[in-house]
Amino acid sequence: MSLFSLWWEALPSLLVGLLEALKLTVFSVGLGFLLGWILAFLRMYGGTVAARVSGAYIEFVRGTPLLVQLFIVYYGLPELGLVFSPFAAALTAMALNTAAYQAEYFRAALSSISQGQVLAALALGLSRFQMLRDVLFPQALRLVLPAWSNEVVYMLKSSSLAFIVGVMEITGRANLLAARRFRYFELYLLVAVLYLIVVFGASSALAAVERRLRLPGLGTEPARPRMA
Amino acid sequence: MGDLLGEWFGFLHGVGVTLQVVAGVMAFGFLFGLGLALTQVYGPRLLALVATSLERTLRGIPVIVLLLVVYYLPWDLPPLLVAIAALGLCSSGYQSQIFHTALRSVRPGQVEAGRALGLTDRQVLVHIVLPQAFRLAIASWANEFSAQIKETSLVYIVGVAEILRHARRIIAYTFGNSLVIYGFTALIYFALTRAGNAFLRRLERRLAIPGLGKPLA
Amino acid sequence: MRLVQIVLGFLAVMAFGLAAEEVFVVGLDAAFPPFTWVEQGEYKGFDVEVMRKIAELQGFRVEFRDLPWATIITALAQGKIDIIASGLSVTCERAQVVDYSLPYWEVDQAILVRQDSELNAITAFLGTVVGAQAGTTGYMWLEDNLVAKGVPVELRAYETYDMAVRDLEIGRIAAVLCDTDTALGFVNAGRNVKIVGIVKTGEQYAYAVTKGDPYGLLPRLNEGLRKLYELGIWAELVAKYFPGRAVEPVPLVPNDPCR
Repeated sequence: MSLFSLWWEALPSLLVGLLEALKLTVFSVGLGFLLGWILAFLRMYGGTVAARVSGAYIEFVRGTPLLVQLFIVYYGLPELGLVFSPFAAALTAMALNTAAYQAEYFRAALSSISQGQVLAALALGLSRFQMLRDVLFPQALRLVLPAWSNEVVYMLKSSSLAFIVGVMEITGRANLLAARRFRYFELYLLVAVLYLIVVFGASSALAAVERRLRLPGLGTEPARPRMA
Repeated sequence: MGDLLGEWFGFLHGVGVTLQVVAGVMAFGFLFGLGLALTQVYGPRLLALVATSLERTLRGIPVIVLLLVVYYLPWDLPPLLVAIAALGLCSSGYQSQIFHTALRSVRPGQVEAGRALGLTDRQVLVHIVLPQAFRLAIASWANEFSAQIKETSLVYIVGVAEILRHARRIIAYTFGNSLVIYGFTALIYFALTRAGNAFLRRLERRLAIPGLGKPLA
Repeated sequence: MRLVQIVLGFLAVMAFGLAAEEVFVVGLDAAFPPFTWVEQGEYKGFDVEVMRKIAELQGFRVEFRDLPWATIITALAQGKIDIIASGLSVTCERAQVVDYSLPYWEVDQAILVRQDSELNAITAFLGTVVGAQAGTTGYMWLEDNLVAKGVPVELRAYETYDMAVRDLEIGRIAAVLCDTDTALGFVNAGRNVKIVGIVKTGEQYAYAVTKGDPYGLLPRLNEGLRKLYELGIWAELVAKYFPGRAVEPVPLVPNDPCR
């Protein structure tokens, strides 16, 4: 069978898998976004104990491989009675992982906004909540956007790990198709091509959003994003 | 659990293999990545374009997919080589970006000044641009280094006997204890990334030149 | 001059070594007891021992290499290994890319469920999650006879059968489909599983070599099987690895896998 007819035959199944990968990415980054803000706030304003705990969590997660975290969730937690399906395990591990990285981006963004603005807002009579919503967040979100886009792309690529615990995303499907046709190299090559297309698409879209939201005079945040 | 000592040696051996892979990957990524970055900044236009697209391609493919593609090449490569080639290619994409940024932040005026003093292009590169660029790059490079320590956990799937593969082997024949063993595995990685970062931060301080700024991110 | 002498000496030793003994790489998935497994870095199992004995009788040497099951055919087709000896069933798809020895074993597919489960051979496959090792005839049977025919069942592919059985024990899946002897192995090892039914697939195991048999291995493997049986070694090995199983004469009469 020629390369292209093999690819053509595999494409429908791989596209279904791609959808699964996108689902994993969107949900995990979304959950990580919420959890990341919580961790960042605890680390900055949460009092000694909460700040320590949040800091330790962030450092530990950032210092260990996502794959090992996935194995702890999928193989380890059932020993405590917590049995996740492959998708739920992958989603949990990915969300817990990206939350730690996102927390650091948020913290860097928050700390680069001058304390003077907070004081000024409070002096003008804004409540703490209004100050957060109208002064800190709009700036912090813009500052964090480059690192955050990077993180989205990183998680999109990382979702390919989920096949190791049996999620039928794109790599897993390629693996099963290849097991019957004995054409691994060609099928993984197709997976690589599909990822390239989606990654380029996602980064261009996110770059467009960045350009759209850019404010003159507002700098970029100083945290160093992970490579993606 | 009679041969607990044997398990310990197994883990130590795994750490040794992981460090070998990391060293190979960083070296491969350094050479190829620096080559790509130099081509992008100083190469002829067409080659620079090729280098840029290659860099972006390498950064757009998940490591695990690249690893599987290399593994299933129709050549009989030993697993260690497969691992180093695949992760090294990925890393060269990132390292190229790091060096690209660093090279760009050495001001063009310095290159011109060097030339005006009668240095050849090669001398300008070796004595003026690279010493500064490397110093500027070291913080990002350290970041990439610890990222690669973590990435190496993947290579167990092509049969490299590193830390994670050892952990899985123990679990396979002791029937369980997954939580403890994977937890312990995580601690080993944590210690490795910590130690690597501390070492590189010291190196960075040692090599620092007063007045030489951070690269433009 | 010294250097030339050393090099020549080295070459002579190499040439002598090569002429003295042919070495073939036998690929296996060391997670398929009682046919293959690994213990303290040593390859064990029925197929491992049969291969060693055949090599001895036929005057060649074998080296074993552990590979993920799903990839083992590709590795042989690409020439990364020379022989597969790992409880490999003869199938039509595989026969397109590798060549088989005469068959030496017959199996069907067994349906495993948890010991406390009330599922039977029918309900185990209705609206449940069923696991099998990726790239096995068990997995293919599920794909071809259930999923392709619209039976509401979810498949889960595993790297090894051991992992599938583990997930069955903790309740992540409802059933596992695997070769009968392997299934019996799990039951006899005291795992929390039982066999609730057999799917009669009538599969035959055989050894496989690269397509076209470039090293002329097939006649030697077939001859080796015949000799093992005649010398009574075969019966000893069957008794050692499959206590209580009847000894059939080998090689068996091959079925046509593409019928």
